[in-house]
Amino acid sequence: MRRALGRPFRSLLGRASVEREVDDELAFHLEMRTRELTVGGLSPSAAREEARRRFGNLDEVRKECSVLGRQREKDVRRVEYVAEALQDARFALRQLARSPGFALVAVLTLALGIGPTTAIFSAVEAVVLRRFDFAHPDRTLLVSERWQDQDGGVSAGNYVDWQQRGTGFDQLAAAHWDSFNLSEADMPERVLGARVTWNYFTVFGARPLLGRTFDEAEDQPGRADVVVLGQGLWARRFGSDPGILGRQIRLSGRPHTVLGIMPSAFDPLLGGEQLWVPVAFTPERKAMHDEHYLTVVGLLKPGLTLARAQAEMDGLAQVLAREYPRDNQGRGIHLQLVSDAIIGDSRDKLFVTLGGVALVLLIACGNVANLLLARGAVRAKEIGIRAAIGAGRGRLVRQLLTESAVLGLLSAAAGLALAWGAIHVLVAASPSEIPRLEQTRIDGPVLAFAVGTALLSSFLFGMAPAWRAARTDLQGVLRDGGRTSAGVVRDRVRTLLIVGEVALALTLLAGAGLLIRSAFYLQRVDPGFDPHGLITARLSLPPRAYREGAAEVARAFEQVVEHLQQAPGVRGAAVTSQAPMGPGGNSNGLIPEGRTRELKNAINARLRMVTPGYFATLGIPLRRGRLLVADDFAGAPLVMVVSEALARAAWPGQDPLGKRIACCEGTPDDPRWKTVVGVVGDVRSGGPTREAGPEFYLPITQVPAEAWDWTRRTMTIVARSEGGDATALTANLRAAVRSVDPDVPLYDIATMEDRMRASIAVTRFHTLLLTIAGAVGLLLAAVGIYGVIAYFATSRTQEIGVRLALGATTRDILRLVAWQGMRPILAGTAVGTLAAAGLTRLIRGSIYGVSATDPATFALVAATLVVVGLIAAYIPAHRSTRTDPTQALR
Amino acid sequence: MTTVNPREYVPKKDRLYGTLDALILKTLSGGPRHGYAIAKWLEEKSGEALTVEEGSLYPALYRMEKRGWIEAEWGDSELGRKAKFYRLTRDGREQLRRETAEWKAFVAVVSNVLLPA
Repeated sequence: MRRALGRPFRSLLGRASVEREVDDELAFHLEMRTRELTVGGLSPSAAREEARRRFGNLDEVRKECSVLGRQREKDVRRVEYVAEALQDARFALRQLARSPGFALVAVLTLALGIGPTTAIFSAVEAVVLRRFDFAHPDRTLLVSERWQDQDGGVSAGNYVDWQQRGTGFDQLAAAHWDSFNLSEADMPERVLGARVTWNYFTVFGARPLLGRTFDEAEDQPGRADVVVLGQGLWARRFGSDPGILGRQIRLSGRPHTVLGIMPSAFDPLLGGEQLWVPVAFTPERKAMHDEHYLTVVGLLKPGLTLARAQAEMDGLAQVLAREYPRDNQGRGIHLQLVSDAIIGDSRDKLFVTLGGVALVLLIACGNVANLLLARGAVRAKEIGIRAAIGAGRGRLVRQLLTESAVLGLLSAAAGLALAWGAIHVLVAASPSEIPRLEQTRIDGPVLAFAVGTALLSSFLFGMAPAWRAARTDLQGVLRDGGRTSAGVVRDRVRTLLIVGEVALALTLLAGAGLLIRSAFYLQRVDPGFDPHGLITARLSLPPRAYREGAAEVARAFEQVVEHLQQAPGVRGAAVTSQAPMGPGGNSNGLIPEGRTRELKNAINARLRMVTPGYFATLGIPLRRGRLLVADDFAGAPLVMVVSEALARAAWPGQDPLGKRIACCEGTPDDPRWKTVVGVVGDVRSGGPTREAGPEFYLPITQVPAEAWDWTRRTMTIVARSEGGDATALTANLRAAVRSVDPDVPLYDIATMEDRMRASIAVTRFHTLLLTIAGAVGLLLAAVGIYGVIAYFATSRTQEIGVRLALGATTRDILRLVAWQGMRPILAGTAVGTLAAAGLTRLIRGSIYGVSATDPATFALVAATLVVVGLIAAYIPAHRSTRTDPTQALR
Repeated sequence: MTTVNPREYVPKKDRLYGTLDALILKTLSGGPRHGYAIAKWLEEKSGEALTVEEGSLYPALYRMEKRGWIEAEWGDSELGRKAKFYRLTRDGREQLRRETAEWKAFVAVVSNVLLPA
């Protein structure tokens, strides 16, 4: 006890006290010695001198003691601070244990805010913030060609020119994805692989797990029969046998020597490829500036800024446009970090969602602040007593904030448990289109975020009650037992809490409402064909087995279609180079007859090579002219069918039928004109979220021979089932393919409805998240409104009793109490509407078919809040009408 | 509970410091004393043989207080003047026990060398 009282007293005297104490102590020593020496017979002055001599260097000792004393003071103060904080924390825990109902409600409320916020943050961390597994993520660039404001693939010629003439890069590598028939151990399988330049691995600083990657000499035509396997494929097909190195495996009919194994983590561009072979450009390919199919990545030279490199490449693009005007006119070069390209718009969307759940957390904080205010009223007396026995204002605030922090940390624990569950659901429900989302987990940064968020929140919700408690008029509290005139001010704080919570909830709901309306729109939007009962699957014919070229390849696909059409349960079948929302596909610049053969006159349109039954099978309506027919065979007059969008773009206001257009092949002397014989309806090829673009259809029998190389003899089979059950056709598809070529596998089998769903999966995912956030926010706000109005009603019990005694009707009381709640709700609705109008522009990229400030959505959301608020306010108001005046006035 | 901060730990090879500390602790084991009384006690016990510069006593006291081996309090001295009294803490008692044991071991080793039986 003496210790406990002594120390604060001494520390109050501050730094000077240490020196004074040292002086006093040393003086006492010298005085005692002097006195003794005097008694021994020395004169006082001689005694003093002798005492000093025996003492030694007084200044030195004094200095040393002062330093040590001050250090000790500091240690003591630190220990005391920690001890007090622990004491406060223990006290807070006891307080919470004493009112478990309050503790439970507060912790659960906060956990409802912290849990989702933490879960979404963990997704942000995994997708956006976590470092990319490259050697130099801040220098690894994606280099694209830019044409008509769109990034696109790179032609081999341009890649070679960039590599030779661009000076900003340490390495520049190219890749394109291809699938291979892996026919090891008589189990044919379609495997996704990449054809890459030898330095592709170098750009990412990736090393093989085993063996080596190919070198520059192996990246040459004729020497390129080597392959590097992914760890996953190596384990699955070769039992992780290290003896595979140096052995040969058959890829698409040709033996390839296995050089090395890449670790499974190596998937830098998230292409999902499982093997890599050298791209081995031929000299002809290197000279080719058409066919923009390569993905190019580069390692920026150290010290060079992205802007400088971009400026340099802009100059190079102009040079190349002059040298190859036919292919490069108007074509730019665009540099961006690979990490930025991969994260894409996921960054914005996830941050919007994070903002959404943060709003929920704020509402939760509002509710807990209100709970604490109510408790503060109960505890006013206790706090008054503490202040009376000498606890300083700062000390009281510290103690109350410690209580909030304890509450916050408990909530952080509960919130983390909630987040852990939420992350599992999140990952399970996550669309594969959001990169790296599946890597979401609770790790150090997430843990720190949860605790930091909890502490920040506890400061937010704890500040008002603590500040109020510290300002409390001591005598008033002790006299009135807590019922003081401070009630008026307190009511204003509570009223503002309602305004804030309603505004926050409205903002959230407006966002969720817009997304839900877009979801309905996307459900309704006409894709331009009938997706029900359609199945699609891909098929690639190996190059060597079809040596006789285009005619033979086309014939094989036609046979598959014929087999399918005769199968039972099949209403229609066709093949196409690309199904809507499907992989693959090419687009070409088309030049209508009468325009000069220049790039700027070209209309970029999507090419579909189809069999005649394609339109009937998909249900694409004919608008004018005729569809493709079996008579449009090789050698017959060249024809094409165009979409309405292409017709509008190429011949605005004119009849497109009979017009001629050049594309895909030919020379200025012989443009290989194709005559438009029909116009069909537009198809939303990119899914419901994308507008339909210009498209054209060529019969597979009339396409140029090179076209089979563009598509790598890969086509998509589409078939419509008789009964509507598309999956039932899978067996028919396999049988039809087997009857034509038993060695080629069918892959990418999916119903068209699944493809539609997948195309809007990301949008649906974010809609779901924001809708959940909106619902939780609304619920919390309703609970908050209820709590505040219930408090108002309780605190006015006496007044209500008087009014009832004086003849007020139930309706009067109802109006009185409910109105006290409705005013802040209406104010909050107004504030929230303004805030939402400003904030919904953040989700403009995710909403379709509705404006970001859609009045109907806003009105509906505001009405919802007012109604929910009214109900939340009505319940306590109604209860207060049943006040018994005699009870209330006692 | 005070723990020893490793930064402040006086290396054992500095026997003089260690010995002075041990002597002070021993002095205080008989009850609280002020600095002058400690100096006098050391003087008497050692027959003035161990007398060091009296001033060096005080930094040792402050150091040990900081380390938590002793604690201090101002009280009335025999002459009615305020004086700073030091007393052993539990840690200090433990430290004295340790120092004594070490000293014994040290003496035994040195004796074995200097005074072979």
